[in-house]
Amino acid sequence: MFNSGKKAILLMVGMILLLSTALMGCNSQENAPTVEQDASPTEKAITVSWPRDIGPMNPHTYNPSQLFAQSMIYEPLVSYKEGGKLEPHLAESWSISEDGKEYTFKLRKNVKFSDGTPFNAAIVKKNFDAVMSNPKLHSWLGVISALEKTEAVDEQTFKMILKAPYYPTLQDLSLVRPVRFLGEAGFPDDGDTSKGVKKPVGTGPWMLSEYKKDEYAVFTRNPNYWGEAPKLDKVTVKIIPDAETRVMAFEKGELDLIYGEGVISMDSFNQLKASDKYGSKLSEPVGTRSLLLNTTNEKLADQRVRLALQHGFNKQAMVEGITLGLEEKADNILSKNFPYTNIDVAPVEYNVEKASAYLDEAGWKLPAGKTVREKDGQPLELELIYDKTDPIQKAMAETMQAEWAAIGVKLNITGLELTVQIKRRRAGEFDIDFWYNYGAPYDPHSFINVVAEKGWGVSEAHSRVPMKAELDKQVKEALASTDETKRQELYGSILKTLQEQSAIVPVSYIKKTVVYQKNVKAFSFPANRDEHPFNSIEVSE
Amino acid sequence: MISYIGRRILAVIPIVLFAIFITFVLIRISPVDPAEAYLTAAHIQPTEEILAEKRKEFGLDQPLHIQYVQTVMKICRLDFGKSYLTNEPIIEEMTERIPATMQLAVSSIVLAIVISIPLGFLSAIYKNSLIDKCSRLLSFFGASIPQFWLGYLLIFFFSVKLDLFPVEGRGSWQHLVLPAVTLSLALIAIYTRLLRSSVLEQLQESYVLYARTRGLRERTIVAKHVLKIAITPVITGLGMNMGKLMTGTIIVEQVFSWPGFGRYFVEAIFNRDLPVIQSYVIFAACLFVVCNLIVDLVQLYMDPRISLKGRKDS
Repeated sequence: MFNSGKKAILLMVGMILLLSTALMGCNSQENAPTVEQDASPTEKAITVSWPRDIGPMNPHTYNPSQLFAQSMIYEPLVSYKEGGKLEPHLAESWSISEDGKEYTFKLRKNVKFSDGTPFNAAIVKKNFDAVMSNPKLHSWLGVISALEKTEAVDEQTFKMILKAPYYPTLQDLSLVRPVRFLGEAGFPDDGDTSKGVKKPVGTGPWMLSEYKKDEYAVFTRNPNYWGEAPKLDKVTVKIIPDAETRVMAFEKGELDLIYGEGVISMDSFNQLKASDKYGSKLSEPVGTRSLLLNTTNEKLADQRVRLALQHGFNKQAMVEGITLGLEEKADNILSKNFPYTNIDVAPVEYNVEKASAYLDEAGWKLPAGKTVREKDGQPLELELIYDKTDPIQKAMAETMQAEWAAIGVKLNITGLELTVQIKRRRAGEFDIDFWYNYGAPYDPHSFINVVAEKGWGVSEAHSRVPMKAELDKQVKEALASTDETKRQELYGSILKTLQEQSAIVPVSYIKKTVVYQKNVKAFSFPANRDEHPFNSIEVSE
Repeated sequence: MISYIGRRILAVIPIVLFAIFITFVLIRISPVDPAEAYLTAAHIQPTEEILAEKRKEFGLDQPLHIQYVQTVMKICRLDFGKSYLTNEPIIEEMTERIPATMQLAVSSIVLAIVISIPLGFLSAIYKNSLIDKCSRLLSFFGASIPQFWLGYLLIFFFSVKLDLFPVEGRGSWQHLVLPAVTLSLALIAIYTRLLRSSVLEQLQESYVLYARTRGLRERTIVAKHVLKIAITPVITGLGMNMGKLMTGTIIVEQVFSWPGFGRYFVEAIFNRDLPVIQSYVIFAACLFVVCNLIVDLVQLYMDPRISLKGRKDS
């Protein structure tokens, strides 16, 4: 018996030794410089956090590359600025043929990639060819579907020829992906960037100088940058997946700035905002959270029912209560800060009497002793589907369930897996669903496109709107229009009709948040929802 | 003994096959269509044509039993497929993350051993003393506190307020302290109580009485004889927990931004990266089986009667 005791001790000592050796093995990088130790005192640097690893930094592909980081390295021909203004970027100027099918870009001279190689029409064409060789990957983007061919006319001139006129071509070119430019050294041998890039070489103000997957990425200034150099020398991005940890790292001073959409909880934002130790800002609306009412459902085909639902809940109180002021009550389907969307609409106010009157008028009566309205023996029962992992959608669904019960509408709420929710929306298998527009620079053209184009669920949801055919026609005209005034008119008409028809019920405007330490100055939100904000930032001692 | 070991190793095979089967079934009955999940992750608009093409590519158009056989064959070749999200081979992505998880798992085990053994031993010897009461309190605390909350508390006090350790990340030994403490507290809670009751039990044994009648000093009895035997269940417990720790400690890795296995799994869940989820579950099952096997073999080493018993039974 005592023999087994000796064995136990032997085993235990052995185990500790083994584990400790393993530990030292794992910890071989202990002496490697960590991110914090690197900064020299004179260097102007900030440390920010991001929830996910920045990804492989391929300009021509999507997830898992993070948009903000891609936008630090790679640049567009045309950039999207406040109010939807398009400004020259890598293209110094451009001209559009009268028929709207030919775009000729004069490229900026003396632009170099971060490795010193020149930026010219040949490399622009090579990038376009790489993107166009995978049309399926980019079929969602209008300009890719519209593009017939490209041509490097001379060293500084690049031409795009479209199959048919498509006015948002320039907006599409301002996106962070997929039409940005990788230097020659980044291309794989077979030129097919969809499988990966050799290294991230761009013309942008920043270069990826150090990277540890899932841990951090360090961006330093590109010495060959053609434009105004950023005020900072270095931006370190720490990958912190947990929102509360992010806030604590910020409070401790390990982070200088936390920026993005939903990157910290609403409570934490308000708490940090209330403290005079930090700075904070809320952006202009970047998108609208809406409800999509499916008119293929007989009950929702009646405009009066849709209006009744809209009058039947206290939007202001719901948005304020659930988002703690981080979102703003929305009256317009698209907020007014996008191009062509600055239209005045009469807000549909919270009015229970009006809601009940609409339902009565539509024939949905409340039988004595019952709580749910009926028509021809059918109860007024609807289903709202929501993403079960989204706490805001869930809370809003519950609120509306309670509010609409008061006007005699029975709302069943169903939490779904996100992919199932999207699948059901696309198949038109829903009564009511949450829906979001895309934001700048995608909107308003991407929004009107899905209103007319089948396959996304939005067009399908509008199919019983009386003037659907006319709407679709107007959308097609607007997207192909080369006349600015005509386009504005068409947008005005489309948006007005959609507002009146109430198949899309705007709920709230989503905003980006930022919190920063007091030494961080001159922060401004980029106009393009996906761009990084680091070029203008300064730090004081 | 060798035949016993052989039989135990062979028994692993059906268990792993069963684990693969369960994972396979769970993925198939989940509402997420793998082809659709792939297209969503790759940012491709899922038209019926592309969906059909992808289903064919993934073999989803084959009868279920063929799909299962193909899955098993692939796993036998250590081909776990590619991640929908990154398009990288999963086996490589998993290998990259193992050192970080290993480091954390091993540190917390070492910490748990170093603290729980003396504490458990002393609380048994000095039963109902202050040290026993303190260890009991620590055990209640450790066993009942949720790990994410403990993690936040430790960060708040030791990092934000006292500025002793970094809040998150991996790199220096300072980064390791808080996550390792968070993980080991639950282990300390268990092992301390386990060792305490085991020592108390041994103290009732006749060999202790015999030793006492021989006039041995109490200290010699407990240190030289009792502890050696009482420690056996703790070793078993450690082996069992090793599997749990090695598969990544999802919450702790998330809270402390530890770039390990658990975080990889969480991200896969959020992205509906089905091949990664499947590989992770199978890997975790295998690891548990192996850890249990090791525990069995250790017990065999400690007590060879197990193999004799096995031989008699067979």
